Amino acid sequence: MSATTLASRPKREWKRPKIGSVLQHAYIWFWLALFVLPFVVTILRSLEDPDGGRSFAAYSTVYSSFWSYLRLSIEMTVLTIAINLLIGIPAAYAIVRHPIPGKRLILSVLNLALYTPGAVMGISLAITYAFLFHIPHSYTGLIAAYVVGTYPLMLVPIIVALRDLPTMYEEAARTLGANRLQSFFRVELPLLGPGISAGILLTFVIVFNEFLVTLFIAGPGTTTAALRVYGLTRTGFLPSTAAVAAVMQFVSFLVVLTFFKAFGSRYLKGTYLI
Amino acid sequence: MANPSITIHASDAIAAPGQVTTRRWRGALVGPGLLLPAFVVTILFSIVPLIYLILVGFTEESTFFTHHRVYTVSNYRVIWDRYLPHVVNTIKLAVYSSVFDLVFGYPFAYILIRKVRYRELVRTAMTFPLFGPLYLAYGISYIVLPNGPLAPVLNPILDFLGVEVTTLLFSTPMTVIGMAIFTFPFMVMNVGTALSNVDPTLEEAARTLGARPWQVFTRILFPLSWSGILAGFLMCFGWNLGVFVVPLLLGGIPQQRVLSLTLYQKGVVQFDYGLASAMGIVLMVLAFGVTWLSLKFSRGALGA
Repeated sequence: MSATTLASRPKREWKRPKIGSVLQHAYIWFWLALFVLPFVVTILRSLEDPDGGRSFAAYSTVYSSFWSYLRLSIEMTVLTIAINLLIGIPAAYAIVRHPIPGKRLILSVLNLALYTPGAVMGISLAITYAFLFHIPHSYTGLIAAYVVGTYPLMLVPIIVALRDLPTMYEEAARTLGANRLQSFFRVELPLLGPGISAGILLTFVIVFNEFLVTLFIAGPGTTTAALRVYGLTRTGFLPSTAAVAAVMQFVSFLVVLTFFKAFGSRYLKGTYLI
Repeated sequence: MANPSITIHASDAIAAPGQVTTRRWRGALVGPGLLLPAFVVTILFSIVPLIYLILVGFTEESTFFTHHRVYTVSNYRVIWDRYLPHVVNTIKLAVYSSVFDLVFGYPFAYILIRKVRYRELVRTAMTFPLFGPLYLAYGISYIVLPNGPLAPVLNPILDFLGVEVTTLLFSTPMTVIGMAIFTFPFMVMNVGTALSNVDPTLEEAARTLGARPWQVFTRILFPLSWSGILAGFLMCFGWNLGVFVVPLLLGGIPQQRVLSLTLYQKGVVQFDYGLASAMGIVLMVLAFGVTWLSLKFSRGALGA
């Protein structure tokens, strides 16, 4: 067959790269550079000294004034991740392993927050928090907004991972005497590790950098790091602002890189983030 | 595999034959019970606020929360009379950037799928825009600043192209490019998935039969990847409708006539909740319609 002949052509001989293929790779690299360029430029700006040299001076603001915002952001992100896990894992399990009438409709409803534009979610929550729940500008309100906006992203990777997991492991555990709960915690949950990590990654990146909804519903005591960066960017291009923005991006990038090194991109397949 | 939960129930029956009926009835509650927390959270913090938005959209300013509620459709009429340019501008910017994504993203996806071996590296680099349009817009606005860091490199290029440096920032092209770069990965992913399902031997067969490259594209690639193109375009379009920070940092006043920004202006700054809610509903309907269309044509993990 022509397919096998094409595949079995010897690939080890060195061929002079054709101009077409060089252009194609250049095209890819051009766009990759474009993605990374704002980040690089921000870092460069943050390293600038008032006297024109290069120094880490601007990063002192990260430790002094920005640190409290950063701590608040990390705290909120971790809390959101925890709540997402608590809500999302049972929900994913129910969706995949239990027969539930109207599953499609329920899934669409659960995914609603993903399709709501940030400003719409912001204004609707601002109104609801202020006048219905009476919790304007509160910590709880912010966490609730983060949770409702990101637990679908926790749901999807776990559903994908759960679907690929054969039920025979759970069944084997049950025949060996474990009850439902035991077999879940000791057999299935560890096997779902990568899927759960994908959900954690997505939640972290989104919540850590989220400022649009926060803009609508945060108050003086609940200014997150991303919101603070937003405020600073309106004031110009000081090295301190660049330092702060660079730190935020760096943390996000580190988390993403760790995940990719550990698990690859397989578990993010259905989430449109990858 | 057959329905897995029935298998589990069968093993229940083996363990305790007398209790089959009660166990099965109670077991049927477990599924919905596990879903309950997620459902409650969504209802409370997603559905109820939206219902409120619809309600407040029909009241005048902030009168919804006082004792003198005034129900009116005037908010929507005001949108039609005064803010239609904003709606049109929002749609216009979103269309431009989605088209930009398609034109430049399709070749990118094609090269990525067919020719490139270092896909993991590309994927990692592509997550950068997704950290947030804020950093992206900030970085871009800094690059394009007239006396910015790349001025030595950029100015000669711009002079060569006949573009005045000071007009670059705060303009429509810059805003569109900023928006497009943010949603570029979405387009690439959708088109890439569609293209990876196209058998490469089909292209090779077409070439051996004498087709020119552009013919291979129009007759084979394009029709077969059409669902990916549509899904990617609609996804980018839906996202770009709700754009907020990119016009703010990269656009001038004309570009900042975007629904999200106007909504913020009216709602949070001027407390005109009625108008802001009405705008929110308009934006919601637009975004929702687009996303619904895109879901019909895309392949999600949930096999929609």
